[in-house]
Amino acid sequence: MIKITELQKYYRTEEVETIALNKLSIDVKEGEFVAIMGPSGCGKSTLLNILGLLDDPDGGSYLFNGIEVADFNERKRADLRKHNIGFVFQSFNLIDELTVFENVELPLIYTGVPASERVARVEKVLDKMQIMHRRNHYPQQLSGGQQQRVAVARAVVNNPKLILADEPTGNLDSSNGNEVMELLTDLNEQGTTIIMVTHSEHDARYSHRIIRLLDGQTVMENIMI
Amino acid sequence: MIKNYIKTAWRNLWKNKIFSALNIAGLAVGMAACIVIMSFVFYEKSFDNFHTKNIYRLNEVQSFPGMVSSQKVGLSMYPMGPTLKNEFPQVKNFTRVKWNDKYQVTYQDKRMFLPQAFSVDSTFLQMFDFKLIAGDRKTALEKPNSIVLTQATAKKIFGDVNPLGKTITHYGNDTVIFAVTGILQDIPKNSQMQFDCLFSFSSVYHKWMNRWGGNWLDTYVELAPGTDATILESKLPAYMLKYSGRPDITKFYKLFFLPLKDVHANAADIGLDYINYQKFDKKATNLFAIIALIVLLIACINFMNLSTARSAERAREVGVRKSIGARRLELAVQFLSETIMLSLFALVAGMILVWISLPYINNLSGRDISINLWASPGTAAIIIGFTIVVGIVSGIYPAVYLSSFKPVQVLKGSTESGGNKGTFRNVLVVGQFTSAVFLMIATFFVVKQLRYMQQQDPGFTRDQVVTVPLDGNTDQKYDVLKQQLLSSSLITGVTAAQDVLGSHLDQTGVTFKPKNGPAKQLALTQLVVDNNYLNLFGIKLIAGKNFSPAKSASGREYIINEELAHELLKDQPKNTPIASLIGQSFGNDSLGVITGISKNFNFNSLHYKVETMFMFNQRNWGYSQLSVKINGGKTNEALAFIKSVWTKNFPDRPFEYQFLDDHFNDVYKADAQISKIVSILAGLAIIISCLGLFGLASYAAEKRVKEIGVRKVLGASVQSIVLLLSGQFVKLVLMANLLAWPLAWYAMHKWLQSFAYRIDIKLSVFVFTAVLSLFIALLTISFQSVKAAIANPVKSLRSE
Repeated sequence: MIKITELQKYYRTEEVETIALNKLSIDVKEGEFVAIMGPSGCGKSTLLNILGLLDDPDGGSYLFNGIEVADFNERKRADLRKHNIGFVFQSFNLIDELTVFENVELPLIYTGVPASERVARVEKVLDKMQIMHRRNHYPQQLSGGQQQRVAVARAVVNNPKLILADEPTGNLDSSNGNEVMELLTDLNEQGTTIIMVTHSEHDARYSHRIIRLLDGQTVMENIMI
Repeated sequence: MIKNYIKTAWRNLWKNKIFSALNIAGLAVGMAACIVIMSFVFYEKSFDNFHTKNIYRLNEVQSFPGMVSSQKVGLSMYPMGPTLKNEFPQVKNFTRVKWNDKYQVTYQDKRMFLPQAFSVDSTFLQMFDFKLIAGDRKTALEKPNSIVLTQATAKKIFGDVNPLGKTITHYGNDTVIFAVTGILQDIPKNSQMQFDCLFSFSSVYHKWMNRWGGNWLDTYVELAPGTDATILESKLPAYMLKYSGRPDITKFYKLFFLPLKDVHANAADIGLDYINYQKFDKKATNLFAIIALIVLLIACINFMNLSTARSAERAREVGVRKSIGARRLELAVQFLSETIMLSLFALVAGMILVWISLPYINNLSGRDISINLWASPGTAAIIIGFTIVVGIVSGIYPAVYLSSFKPVQVLKGSTESGGNKGTFRNVLVVGQFTSAVFLMIATFFVVKQLRYMQQQDPGFTRDQVVTVPLDGNTDQKYDVLKQQLLSSSLITGVTAAQDVLGSHLDQTGVTFKPKNGPAKQLALTQLVVDNNYLNLFGIKLIAGKNFSPAKSASGREYIINEELAHELLKDQPKNTPIASLIGQSFGNDSLGVITGISKNFNFNSLHYKVETMFMFNQRNWGYSQLSVKINGGKTNEALAFIKSVWTKNFPDRPFEYQFLDDHFNDVYKADAQISKIVSILAGLAIIISCLGLFGLASYAAEKRVKEIGVRKVLGASVQSIVLLLSGQFVKLVLMANLLAWPLAWYAMHKWLQSFAYRIDIKLSVFVFTAVLSLFIALLTISFQSVKAAIANPVKSLRSE
């Protein structure tokens, strides 16, 4: 599903150039659950941003379902994102001015799903995430765990092929963290490919494969049994 | 999608109540100012638009010998109308109009004065589209002694009785019995012609009228569609030579046409313009429109500034929306729809302000402007469309800026809101304050010039002088009135003249016959006065003596002004004393002598230079203005006394009076209106700019709360924090002053050129404006700066 080859990314300031990704090559098959680990500054989040088409690589190739997307323009990236990729962030990134229902509904609005269908799909996913009773609440009225469940609901409401999760339990206690990991595992079992950045060995154990990065390069890959 | 945008927009507005209120208030004030001023502008442009024919007014440029400069006048000669029609096939029709102030009419035992009666040709109603509600447009004025009344006049004279066919009588020099042949709907306020009745010229025709040379009426011509008035104008000199019988006429007169629709607003340089209700220079109207748009622009800049300043708060939302697939265009549309919604809120608030301020503006401008959105869907559509444009203009930059955020950066918490964006915001603040300071400087000069005109010594005293109009009948008892009035200690002087000071005075042809040269024919401003005129008005003589009281001297003595003296001596050796003119032959019909030379005095407004003029005492020519100087301490008693004397002598004539000061206030009315409106707009510009500055200062303080906390922990004083926060804005306001100064200097220099007598452009005004604008800005900022500076640093550092 994803094939990146010799991917490069630099961050430049006036005086310093930092290499975030140094000719990194990774393959991720459809239905896989991959965890990416490594120390701070090793390039994990940069990789995730490039995979999610939120950032551009400075070199190398990125094939998504066999199509080269590294040189996609803004509009093509937005289209690819909204139909294929769901994001789950460490800090949830819900829109404060929208209710739980409206936050989850948002991706459907951008993909042009009719209003009547949207209601049914949002309710279904909220039900699945066990957050239906909070549908009219605003994010700031929810606990961290509940907010992350809403964020996962928003990520999956469009039935994306790929979910990119950036330290999804980083802001949660262990109980809520486990709940979120269970949700991601369920989604993966239903066929969604998941790539997750994490610092937590515990969370990484939910994945099929752990890719460990250092200085923008793969230093080790662990297959989980 | 739209529903989602509106929902988000509404919740954002509600969440940030202070910013929203500042934005809405600023835009509302800007929009209200713009709507009111634009309504005024459209009202001004609507003058005479209801007439459908291709009508022009005939005007003259007069260049008479002895005049300092040529003058444009709205007047023309009685024979011109018919001869133009005769000569040029392009002239389809003509009508002449003569105004008759306070026209006395009698019906049965009712005797009244109509404020304005027009004598016109029978074609008047065929050319102009004043609505006739009874009578026949073609024949109503055809026969002599026909009169057409306006509805209000008919009601005043006849009550509920049908006036058609009834007769009314005018007693005067021409006693005429008029038959009512038509009723007109009351004249719209946006008509330059305002009258109470029309009667046919044939009712009052005298043979002398048909002479060339006398300019005492207005002539309107209807040109065939497609006629080029300029080409026609080029043929007018030959036409005048052909019909006037005077081979030198083109030396003195040049004719030109002014489209009827331009008469109201494009005749500022035309004098003796007696039929021009609420004449108002379109330059001033355009100036208002420009200033109103600047005020609105300032309000829009506020919006841009506050929105981009707050961009960090919206950045995460942009990142989230983009990460789930929102395109840039969709986000831009979202932000634009927010600004449009905000503009619509501002419109509602603005319309309330319009509703509150309109009566004041009507009172100030003397207009009858109304904005009824329900009755006029077109206006409503224009205003709503304009609001949407305002929303787009205000929101386009924030929309483009916000939607450009890169999700990867904003989700990490970086918004790139410093650097260039801060610079752009500063540019906008400088732009805003440059406009506001420009308007403040303009206001100071406009107000100063107006005050200068009102307080400038015109060369005569106008305090405590009451003027009372006289007509052919009341003038006959002038000497009796004078005697009776002077019998009271409440009255300190009585005199009379043919005109009131502060007006365009009539001109006439005169002869000057120097002792050592040939006679010269001149055309000069004349003022027929009583022999004590100079004493009452304190007009000083620089040579010779005043009029002698002897009746035998009447019509033989002339007092000329200094300007005319210089004109008469211009061909003489340079050192010829001015007094050498005393005793030289001068005069109109029969030559008299120059007995005195007066110091120049401004018999007109200070817009005009003192013209060459002369005064003479010719009792049998009659007076039209009685001037009574009253005892200043007892104004009410003096007025009551004058009224009692008037009523005793003229029991059936209303007593009307005006203080000369008030007359001059009328002369400067348009200037006063301009001054007030510019002042109001400048005030609004400052208020709106300060609203924006307040918002930005509050935002800056909020953004730097941690820095302030750290500085305080390290020992910074409250004063140093206030200085730190205020300094950046002070610099911007100073920069705005530097930019505004040359612009304001240039604009004021140009504007002041329209006054013959004007104030100097002094640097002190600029410096004062700079100090004032800084003071206002500091006052605005200091609230937020002091609040931030005295806050407990522990709280801000803990929250970080």
